[in-house]
Amino acid sequence: MLEMLSPFFHLLLFPGGLFALACGLLLKGVDRKVAARLQRRIGPPLHQPFVDLIKLWHKDSSVPETAQSRVFAWAPHVGVTGMALAALLIPIGGVYTPSGAYGDLLVLLYLLAVPAVALMIGGAASGSPFGAIGFSREMSMMLAYEGPLLLALLSVALKVGLATGGVATFSLAEIVRYQQAHGALLFDPVMWPAVVTFLFVIPANLGVVPFDIPEAESEILEGPLLEYSGKELGLFQIMSALKMVVVLGLGVTLFCPTAPGGLLLSLAWFIFKCLVLMVASVTVVRSATGRLRIDQAFSFYFKWPEALGVASLILVLTTRNFP
Amino acid sequence: MFSFLKILVRNLIQGPSTDPFPFGETFTPEGLRGRVRFDASACVGCRMCEHVCAGGAIRFEQSESELRFTLWHNSCTFCGLCQHYCKTKAIVLTEDWHLSHRQEEKYAMVEQGTVPLAPCLGCGISMIPVADELMRVAYRETNQDIDRLRRLCPDCRRKLGIKGVQRCKM
Amino acid sequence: MKTFLKKVAAQSPWLYRINAGSCNGCDVELATTACISRYDVERLGCKYCGSPKHADIVLITGPMTTRVKEKVLRLYAEIPDPKVTVAVGICPISCGVFRDSYAIEGPIDKYFPVDINVPGCPPRPQAIIEGIAEAISVWRTRL
Repeated sequence: MLEMLSPFFHLLLFPGGLFALACGLLLKGVDRKVAARLQRRIGPPLHQPFVDLIKLWHKDSSVPETAQSRVFAWAPHVGVTGMALAALLIPIGGVYTPSGAYGDLLVLLYLLAVPAVALMIGGAASGSPFGAIGFSREMSMMLAYEGPLLLALLSVALKVGLATGGVATFSLAEIVRYQQAHGALLFDPVMWPAVVTFLFVIPANLGVVPFDIPEAESEILEGPLLEYSGKELGLFQIMSALKMVVVLGLGVTLFCPTAPGGLLLSLAWFIFKCLVLMVASVTVVRSATGRLRIDQAFSFYFKWPEALGVASLILVLTTRNFP
Repeated sequence: MFSFLKILVRNLIQGPSTDPFPFGETFTPEGLRGRVRFDASACVGCRMCEHVCAGGAIRFEQSESELRFTLWHNSCTFCGLCQHYCKTKAIVLTEDWHLSHRQEEKYAMVEQGTVPLAPCLGCGISMIPVADELMRVAYRETNQDIDRLRRLCPDCRRKLGIKGVQRCKM
Repeated sequence: MKTFLKKVAAQSPWLYRINAGSCNGCDVELATTACISRYDVERLGCKYCGSPKHADIVLITGPMTTRVKEKVLRLYAEIPDPKVTVAVGICPISCGVFRDSYAIEGPIDKYFPVDINVPGCPPRPQAIIEGIAEAISVWRTRL
C-alpha cells in the first residue's frame, strides 16, 4: 500500500510539488533581494514571491476574445505539470534518489523543454501579436540553448558511463552514486568546460535578463504572458519557480551532488548549493547586464557555449584512458 | 572586462543608498517650489499673478465687499512666476511638497484668501486698501501726507494731486 | 484565514503606467522612481509590469489627448479588478497648461474613477512614492 502511494507523495509533497514550489519561491525571493543589494537598493522582502502568488489568486482573470480559449487556459497547466514531473527526477544528495522507473536524464531533458513549449502554446493561442513575437523568440532561444545543454549533459553521462565500464549513463541515481564515490565532477579539470557550458545555459533556460528576450516587458510587453492574468499568470509563476529548482538542482546533481550525513543537513546543503549556483549564474549576471537582441543571443549561443560543449565532449572522450 | 564585478562588490559593501521615505525622513532641497502660500494682507490686487499663471491656476473674484483669491494646486505647475511678479510678496512658494491626496479632496486642494475692500476717504467708493508691503516697496519712508494718500481711491488721489500742483503755483 | 490571505496579498501591488498623451516629464519621474536605487519602489512590494492584465495600481500621466483617448479607455478596461488608479502630474487631474485646447479630452476622471491624485509638473519622486503608498492603503481595502 505504502509502495503504491510513494509516487504520489514524491510528486505532490517531496521533492516535487509543495517542497519544490516553496524552494523555488524562496530562491526567487533571495534572487530579487540579492539583485537589489547589488544595485544598492533595499529590495523586496524575502517572502515577496509567495505574496505575489497569493495576490494573483485574488485577482480576476480574463480570456481575450481573440484567443483560442481552451488552449489558452490549458497551456499553464501543461507547463506546471511538466515541471512538477521534472522536479520528481531531481535527486537530493543523501536525502532522495529518484527511482529508475520515474525516468532518467533524457526524460529530464525533454521535460525541461516543456515550460518553453507551454509558453509558446499560450502565446500563440492568446491571439495577440506580442504573443506571436514571443513565440518565435522563445523558439529561437530554445534552438540556441538546447544544443549546449545537451552537450553538457552528454559530457557528464559519458564521463560517468565510461568510468563505470559502459558507454554513457543516463541514470541520475548512477551519476550521483559515482560522484559520491569518486568525488564531485566539479573538481575534475576535465569537466570544467562542461561546467562553464552549463553555467552559460542557465540564464537562457530560466529566461533572466540578458536572455529574457521572449518575455521582454519593455519591448514586447512580456510576450506570451501578455494576455494572462490572475490565476493563470499565477500558474506560470509556479512553473517558473519550479523550473528554477529543476535547472539549478540539475546543475547541482551533475557537478556536485555530494552530501554530508544527516537528513536535514543534507537538505540544507542542497538548498545552499542551489543558492550559490543561482547567485553566480543568475543574480550577478542579471543585475550587471542589459538585454541582448535576439540575433545577438542566438549567435552567442552558437559560438561560445556550443564550442565549449564540443570541447568538453572531446576532452571527456580523449581522457577516458587516464582516469 | 570584469570591472562590473568590482562595481557589484563595492555596491554590496557600501550597502543600500535608498532613501527611507515613506517609512522615514527624506531630504528637501533648498528652494524647492511646493505648496503656495497666499498672504491676503500683503495683496494689492494688481492681478499680475493671474495674468502670468502658466497653468491658469489662479483666479480672482471681485464682489461688492471683497476680492477673493483662489489658487488650485491641481492646476499649478509650480513654475514660480506668480512669486516672481508679486512685488509685495503676497504669494510665496513654500518647500512643502506633500501634495498627493485622495480623489475626494481634489477640489479642496486650494489656497484661498480674501482681501476686504475699504471705502475711500474722499468719495466713499469701495477700493482695495494699499498694503503696508507696497508702501515699503514704493517709498523709502512715509509721512502723514503719503499716509493720507493711502486711504484714497485713484480718482481722489488724482484730484488731490492736481490741487497740489495748483497750490504750488508752478 | 481568508482575511489573512487578503492581508498578505495586499503587500504585492504591481504598477502599470499609462501615458495618456503626456509630455514625458512625469514618465521620466516614474522611470526615476523605478530605476534609481535612491527611490526603489520594489521595497514596497511593487513591480513595474509590462502588461495591463498584470496590473494592480495604474499610474496615469498626460491630459488625455483626442488621438490617444480610445486606446487609453481600452487599456483601462483590460486591467482586471480590483485596481487602484493614480493620476500622476497635474495633466490627468485638471489638464494643467493644456486645458481648453481643442486636442484635449481630459481630465481623466471624466472617463473612469480616479483614487489618488499626485499634483506637480512633474511631481518629485518622493511625492510619487507618497502617492503610491497611499494607493496601496486604498488597494488594501479593495481586495
